[in-house]
Amino acid sequence: MTLDDLRKDIDRVDEVLVRLLNERARCVCEIGRLKKETQMEIYQPDREKQVLQHVRAIAAEGPLGPDAIARLFERIIDEARRLERRVVHGETGESGQTPGTR
Amino acid sequence: MVVVMQEGASEAQVERVVARLVEMGMDVHKSTGVSRTVLGAVGQGRPEATLIEMMDGVHEVVRISSPYKLASRTFRAEPTVVTVGDVRIGGDEVIVMAGPCSAESEQQVRDSAAAARRAGAKVFRGGAFKPRSSPYSFQGLGEEGLRLLRDAASAEHMALVSEVMDISQIDLVERYSDIFQVGARNMQNFTLLRELGHRRKPVLLKRGISATIEEWLLSAEYILSGGNTDVILCERGIRTFETATRNTFDVSAIAMVKKLSHLPVVADPSHGAGRRDMVAPLARAAVAAGADGLIVEVHCDPDHALSDGAQSMFPAQFDRLMAELRIIAPAIGRSICLEATPRRGWGT
Repeated sequence: MTLDDLRKDIDRVDEVLVRLLNERARCVCEIGRLKKETQMEIYQPDREKQVLQHVRAIAAEGPLGPDAIARLFERIIDEARRLERRVVHGETGESGQTPGTR
Repeated sequence: MVVVMQEGASEAQVERVVARLVEMGMDVHKSTGVSRTVLGAVGQGRPEATLIEMMDGVHEVVRISSPYKLASRTFRAEPTVVTVGDVRIGGDEVIVMAGPCSAESEQQVRDSAAAARRAGAKVFRGGAFKPRSSPYSFQGLGEEGLRLLRDAASAEHMALVSEVMDISQIDLVERYSDIFQVGARNMQNFTLLRELGHRRKPVLLKRGISATIEEWLLSAEYILSGGNTDVILCERGIRTFETATRNTFDVSAIAMVKKLSHLPVVADPSHGAGRRDMVAPLARAAVAAGADGLIVEVHCDPDHALSDGAQSMFPAQFDRLMAELRIIAPAIGRSICLEATPRRGWGT
């Protein structure tokens, strides 16, 4: 495979990743809404630990390995918390819109 | 015959070609693309390609070898996107249509619409006129059913697709529904298709139970040739020698039709197998094969449904299916209902 082919593969995977990250964000917004309704704290350290354990377990066999995957997911969780905060407190995000409205 | 105009051909040049084709006894369907205009000439006249080819502004003249013309990819290279309100069928997003087989009562219709919407469906489906195999089976609620379906769809901010069985029902269905559905048994009811071609509402055309892909596209041609360009094809399974499932769902037809035609294709996995436990696997296969949408039977209480209960999904099963499809669609560069909050309605 040429460098160009491999770069095209990277672009394809990135497209799927971005779409899936947005799908994850959609779930996060729903969770934010439920937390707001039940007046639950946004920050749930136990659940965050569970999420990291879960992805570490899946990552056992790939080239990245559990530690690298856990570092990436820490960032994803940071963004998820930020998104939940926006949903709960009704702050507008970077797009100038409250999440979930169009 | 398709006449492809040169990029930047003038309006006057296009008009002269149209006039010439009309002189030759042809009906002309104009399609203005991003960069060039394409003229489709159909009818019983005898167009002379060489004469047209020499006219100013003409890039090339292509003969369409398939018996269907306006439905073919040669006539239109870009995919057709059928728009109903906020919903775009044939675009990047896979559109899910869901609802009960038939309208039975106000409560049943309202609960089913709410369940469908909550899971991410954007179009509500449901029948008021039911073409049943037996004359003794439940035949539908008629106009009262249409009213119930319309009210439930509007309350959930959904579009409505409902079946029209006969030419006499067109006006009535048109008043309530956003999309006409033509059932498998009516795929070759040419008087019905011709009349729908004169209407300006999208038509969801199901594949006949033993129709070839060519016959199916010819049926679409009947609607298109009347000037109604919004045709959505729907694969719903065909009759084969297999008896374990009611019909054999033809996944290859989805990929094939996308190659042969520019029209959007949706899949009906509920009728495809006629069994509730087969709906999810077939729906996943259809999306993976490139279907532009799904039409799924979801009933708030399938065990007590008056029709097709055995193939209707429970709301919880439908929720699960949608979650699976949301993972599958991105793998082929598509999305499914990404609004973060479908349960609040959308576009309002």
